[in-house]
Amino acid sequence: MSRIVVENLNIIKKTDLGRDNYVIDLAPFSKAGAVKPGRFIHVKIPRTDVFFRRAFSVYDINPGEKSISIIFKVLGRGTALLAGLRNGDSLSVLGPLGNGFNLPSTRETAILAAGGIGMPPIYLLAKKLLEKRFDKTKLLFFYGGASGADLVDIRRIKKLGLKLLPATEDGTLGFKGVVTDAIRDKIATADGKFRIYACGPEGMLKAVDRLAGELRMPGQLSLEAPMPCGLGVCLGCIRPLAAGGYTRVCREGPVYNIGEVLL
Amino acid sequence: MTPDLSVEIAGVKFKNPILTASGTCGYGEELADLFSLSHLGGIVTKSITVEPREGHPPPRTAEADSGMLNAIGLANVGVDRFIDEKLRFLEKHDTVVVVNVAGARLQDYIDVCARLDDCPRADMVELNFSCPNVDWGMEIAKSPTRAEQAVREINKVFSRPVIAKLSPNVSDISEIARACEAGGAAAVSLINTLVGMAVDIDTRRPRLTNNTGGLSGPAIKPVALAMIHQVYGSVKTPVIGIGGVMTWRDAVEFFLCGASAVQIGTALFVESDAPVKITAGLKKYLSRNKIRNISELVGKLRKY
Ligand SMILES: Cc1cc2nc3c(=O)[nH]c(=O)nc-3n(C[C@H](O)[C@H](O)[C@H](O)COP(=O)(O)OP(=O)(O)OC[C@H]3O[C@@H](n4cnc5c(N)ncnc54)[C@H](O)[C@@H]3O)c2cc1C
Ligand SMILES: Cc1cc2nc3c(=O)[nH]c(=O)nc-3n(C[C@H](O)[C@H](O)[C@H](O)COP(=O)(O)O)c2cc1C
Ligand code: FES
Repeated sequence: MSRIVVENLNIIKKTDLGRDNYVIDLAPFSKAGAVKPGRFIHVKIPRTDVFFRRAFSVYDINPGEKSISIIFKVLGRGTALLAGLRNGDSLSVLGPLGNGFNLPSTRETAILAAGGIGMPPIYLLAKKLLEKRFDKTKLLFFYGGASGADLVDIRRIKKLGLKLLPATEDGTLGFKGVVTDAIRDKIATADGKFRIYACGPEGMLKAVDRLAGELRMPGQLSLEAPMPCGLGVCLGCIRPLAAGGYTRVCREGPVYNIGEVLL
Repeated sequence: MTPDLSVEIAGVKFKNPILTASGTCGYGEELADLFSLSHLGGIVTKSITVEPREGHPPPRTAEADSGMLNAIGLANVGVDRFIDEKLRFLEKHDTVVVVNVAGARLQDYIDVCARLDDCPRADMVELNFSCPNVDWGMEIAKSPTRAEQAVREINKVFSRPVIAKLSPNVSDISEIARACEAGGAAAVSLINTLVGMAVDIDTRRPRLTNNTGGLSGPAIKPVALAMIHQVYGSVKTPVIGIGGVMTWRDAVEFFLCGASAVQIGTALFVESDAPVKITAGLKKYLSRNKIRNISELVGKLRKY
């Protein structure tokens, strides 16, 4: 049986989150049950003038309904066209793609660090961990953005019932400052008990990579690169590895260990 | 009547005329996650060189209108790892394996092809004389005498059929095709990518670190068709068509212009299961039109 499929999914629900952010629920996806947190789908924009597919992390899954959700922010042509779609419209989806996160051990405290539109895979990781009965008190969900309004779909995160620690640069919500400072503020020393997971803008990932290095905290980052194929065949989405050579973000990634990729 | 999609090129039997193009399907492993490689008439590997290559620094791909630019720079695992690892994988599949070969000078091609001659499942080699993304790629591609000599020398070390892959970035592609035929090419394949460029107006930089790249995808299909039509009229060796094929309808256009088989490249990035859909579409088209064998279509353009 194929591990990766191309399927036409229907938009069963589209939600406007404000500030050009949207959630769409897509079904039926035959691989809905096989999506690990950190994996992504490659979506064909249903217009011929946008040639490549666009990558989106899987945000939520409902295996019973065979549905998956993504959150996206309108940045350019592709996402603008997606924002114009309506319930019932169909989208060609390739996936699930990429490697996904490795789960922490039950002895560890998981620091989940999400930035802006990088929140989806971190949310799904938290949800998966809770489903696996991971101790709620050992999940710290940091969520950063420029302003309170940039923290999207907070309601859904809160429903998980875990400890949500917002950080905003303008101080409108939670800690005033960037996510890494919020983490530093919370934990002075790592002493082997913590594992960090991060997804967000490049600057934030760099800061997390540095912080985790300093605190000798193991963990993983979910990276981005423009992705022509998403499958590992075009060799276009490469990034340099610390050990030398390149890695294909779509295939060996998008999730990498702290320090593994040169940021 | 179930129509027959099989074709024979230079004595090699393909179960259908749909191959995947070099550099767009790796060494087959990734596509096998999506569909069985036995659906393919053949698979053409990424260009193999003597030594492994990392290729150009990113960004080395860019989106274009109806296509894309790439300047990968022949990133590949090198012939040793190819034979030890990648060919081992490909051997297990019921499809023709065409190994694409590139080099900086003729001796590189000879060295790689001589190694491949010892691997019986390297069913054919395809010589990439035409990569626009490395400064040495075009030497052989542009000169008929060099192209002829190169094919002749490579034929001495590789005992199975040799395909010459032609560049569109020349003034007369038929001349090069005839030279390759004279050198003993069992088939010619065309076209490789067209040199192109894209600029980011905010950073004022080219979108590729290599400045220029190769244009591929639907944008080049009309150019490919014109060149295939021209070359088909000027050589006797079979022509393998490449350039912007996305659908079975595109493939039929290629057959009518003279292609005996077709390679699917950039389409794999957008419609990853395109080869499977194209073969199914062709089968229906043949049935509908009561055509027994796909080869009956080759070169059957009607004149005005
Ligand atoms: C593995 C992965 C997961 C992703 N998950 C999400 C997600 O869950 N939600 C979400 O909103 N976005 C996500 N992205 C980013 C998303 O793919 C891009 O925002 C989208 O491709 C932009 O398309 P566009 O046509 O609207 O923009 P374009 O017109 O292509 O470009 C608009 C701007 O976006 C930048 N851009 C283009 N492609 C990318 C890219 N792949 N990564 C980063 N910047 C890019 C361009 O440089 C430009 O500044 C993810 C990307 C990857 C690689
Ligand atoms: C990302 C990419 C990498 C390629 N690498 C090679 C290569 O290594 N060797 C080669 O002979 N052709 C290479 N090509 C050219 C293709 O095999 C094909 O000739 C060309 O893309 C036109 O076909 P298409 O429009 O169907 O893609 C590459 C094309 C692309 C898009
Ligand atoms: S997007 Fe093509 S190799 Fe990663």
